[in-house]
Amino acid sequence: MTALSLHHYLVVGAVLFALGTVGFLGRRNLILMILSAEMMLQGVAINLVAFARFHGNLQGQSFVLFLLTVAACEAAMALALILMLYKQRSSLDVNVWQDLREPGWEPYEDLEPLPEQPAPAPLPRLTVAGKEPKKRSQEKSHV
Amino acid sequence: MFDAALHNVLPLMPVWAADAGTKVPEIWRSLWLIPGLPLLAAALTALLGPQILKKHSHWPCIVAVIGSFIVSAIAFLNLYLGTAAPLYTADWAWITAGNVDIPLKLRFDALAGTMAVMVTFISSCIAIYSVGYMHDDPGYSRFFAAVALFVTSMTLLVLGDNFILLFAGWEGVGLCSYLLIGFWFYKDSAADAARKAFLVTRLGDVGLFLGILLLWWGCQSLDYDKVFKAVEKGTLSETMLFAASLLLFCGAAGKSAQLPLHVWLPDAMEGPTPVSALIHAATMVTAGVYLLARCVPIFLGAPDAQLLVACIGGGTALFAALIALTQTDLKRVLAYSTLSQLGYMFLALGCGVYAVNLNAGSKDLALLAVTAAMFHLFTHAFFKALLFMGSGSVMHAMGHVIDMRRFSGLRHVMPTTHWTFLVGAIALAGIPPLAGFWSKDEILLAAYTASSQTDGTVSSIYFTLLCLALLTAFLTAFYTFRAYFLTFCGEVRIPEEADAHHGHGHGDSSHHGHGGDHHKHDHHAPSAHSGPPKRQSYESPAVMTIPLIVLAVFALGVGWLLGPLGIKAFSFAGFVEHTPYWPHPEHHEHSLNWMLMGLSTVLAGAGIGLAYLMYSLQPALPGQLAKSMQALYQLSLNKFFVDELYEALIVRPASWLAKGIRSVDMGLVDSFVDMLGMAPRLIGQIFQPIQNGLVQFYALAMALGLTVFLLSLIYKM
Repeated sequence: MTALSLHHYLVVGAVLFALGTVGFLGRRNLILMILSAEMMLQGVAINLVAFARFHGNLQGQSFVLFLLTVAACEAAMALALILMLYKQRSSLDVNVWQDLREPGWEPYEDLEPLPEQPAPAPLPRLTVAGKEPKKRSQEKSHV
Repeated sequence: MFDAALHNVLPLMPVWAADAGTKVPEIWRSLWLIPGLPLLAAALTALLGPQILKKHSHWPCIVAVIGSFIVSAIAFLNLYLGTAAPLYTADWAWITAGNVDIPLKLRFDALAGTMAVMVTFISSCIAIYSVGYMHDDPGYSRFFAAVALFVTSMTLLVLGDNFILLFAGWEGVGLCSYLLIGFWFYKDSAADAARKAFLVTRLGDVGLFLGILLLWWGCQSLDYDKVFKAVEKGTLSETMLFAASLLLFCGAAGKSAQLPLHVWLPDAMEGPTPVSALIHAATMVTAGVYLLARCVPIFLGAPDAQLLVACIGGGTALFAALIALTQTDLKRVLAYSTLSQLGYMFLALGCGVYAVNLNAGSKDLALLAVTAAMFHLFTHAFFKALLFMGSGSVMHAMGHVIDMRRFSGLRHVMPTTHWTFLVGAIALAGIPPLAGFWSKDEILLAAYTASSQTDGTVSSIYFTLLCLALLTAFLTAFYTFRAYFLTFCGEVRIPEEADAHHGHGHGDSSHHGHGGDHHKHDHHAPSAHSGPPKRQSYESPAVMTIPLIVLAVFALGVGWLLGPLGIKAFSFAGFVEHTPYWPHPEHHEHSLNWMLMGLSTVLAGAGIGLAYLMYSLQPALPGQLAKSMQALYQLSLNKFFVDELYEALIVRPASWLAKGIRSVDMGLVDSFVDMLGMAPRLIGQIFQPIQNGLVQFYALAMALGLTVFLLSLIYKM
């Protein structure tokens, strides 16, 4: 078995990047799109590490450290955003968000709509015990 | 003492260029103060007036104008007691380009000095008077700023040492006139009048500017000294002198409202009355006369232009007098009278000079004529300002009603205004020994001498002009006293506005704001609401009557004191003839023509008598006369339909032309530009569907784009 050369690493990186791209373009679930984007990042990270090893210096390594940090932050923020988006439309489908289009044009119509999903089961409630507390005049909504 | 004080205060004033090595008194350092002080006041009032000065906005203007008067009076005394050689300020470079060198330089000679003293004196009186008249007006500070700016421009006009400074002052007074005619700009009539005045005088100004350019072309300089020396040396051909004279006269006719450019002046009465008195009677409109008097050397070489000046002057005098006969608006009567008197001045300016070329021996006539014009300008300024201020006092008391059919018998309720107005009226009518008589008589004498010293057609033209002038003298006396009798005599009738006006507090002019249609309505509703007087006195406050009294004293005195029969040392003609480049007098005695004097007095007396007969003894007579001579009456009442003629010949074709050009602009030019504007929009529409708001579509486009870019990078290396 021959030793692993630079090319092997590059191929793996390229495959990861390509899969990420295809996933980002093809998946309609926001979380999966984010995961695909992360995958593209990892492809790039592998490239950098491979080249760092090839050149025998630490530049690529240090760059990857930054990259991982940024990716972590980005993932946190993206997930937070996705959570908020989900709360607004109760769907993770990316195609429900097309408000920023040219004004006056019809929205894109989904040719293969997702199957209707049953509403999620209501959260369990505790039976009321004791005296019912006074309702506050205005309940603040979190949305 | 005063010199020293000024010297201490103003160490940076330009040092006088000592003329011919003589030591010039320090006082001359301050000549720039004459236009400078009012300019400072104008700036101060304009900047601080509305917020800080408010009810005290008149102070900078009054102080500056009086200061300006004092400085010019001192300069005048120095000139009068000294050698009478003109005094100059040092040159300040102003415009220097190539061989054009136009300095900022003032000149104080006999002519300019007389004008400057007269202008600043009248301005002082009127500025004080305005405190009472403009009291409580919302634009109080704006008014005084404009008046101060006017005094600046006017003094610059008369004191400037070259034609460009004169032109700057000329345009400055035009601007101030525009601002002040349109002072109540929210009234349509005032705004229209202001625009009309500006446009019509602009027509003359084009001529003036062309004339100045022509002089530049001929003399390569615009300094008075250089131009007039060149003219005297004969550098300019006769044709050129003729053309320059005509063009200068064109400017003068526009500014001084001579036929056919007179239409703006009567409308200019829309401005506040002090403005009518200051700008449209005493000072600005006489700028044309000053210009021609200044350019006497040029006109000496153009006798035909002189004849034209005389004819237009005489024609305007009679024409305006005929219109004044039937006007019912007191201020309009005075406005037409101003036109008529200006016509007299131009008649005089045109008289003398013609004879010079025919009998080269005598230049006395030329001098007589131009001094007569200047003397009439001088006396006219006093009594006409007085008359206008009197009418302003009436208007102020009558709640801004100025239609003579609405009030009468005011001498019982406004005694001071009555007496001062009477003095002005007698002076205007030309009854000795008041101011108007002497100066008008000089003009008649000039016309008479011109016709007797020439021969042939020219002589008969001048004789006709003399007859016209005598007829005008009769008419002047008649219409002046018509206005006097209608306003001040008869039963006491006061329009109800006077009391409504008084009820709001004295001098309340709050109804200016919505006064436009209200005002017009008043003019066409004669004597409908008049009743017995509700108060004993309608007299204006002292701040208005005291300037009236001062001017009345001058109207009484100046003609007699400075005229040909006055004290020789004070003789107006004897002083003003020292103006450089005017023809030198050959023999000094002023000939008096007793016959002419008697004739003009008799005619004036007859005019007054006729007015007394028609408007005091038999008030029904004018109506019957008007009915029996309906055509003539309508002609005079409608100002000979000149406005309608302009409307048909110039205004309407111009507006048609404007409409045509507008439609070309809107239809052709704009649609082309719109088409150019449409192109990017059309191209953009092609790409509009791409922006569909789908994130993945964008990502795909980006990926594809990147791919294409990379591929092209790889394969087209």
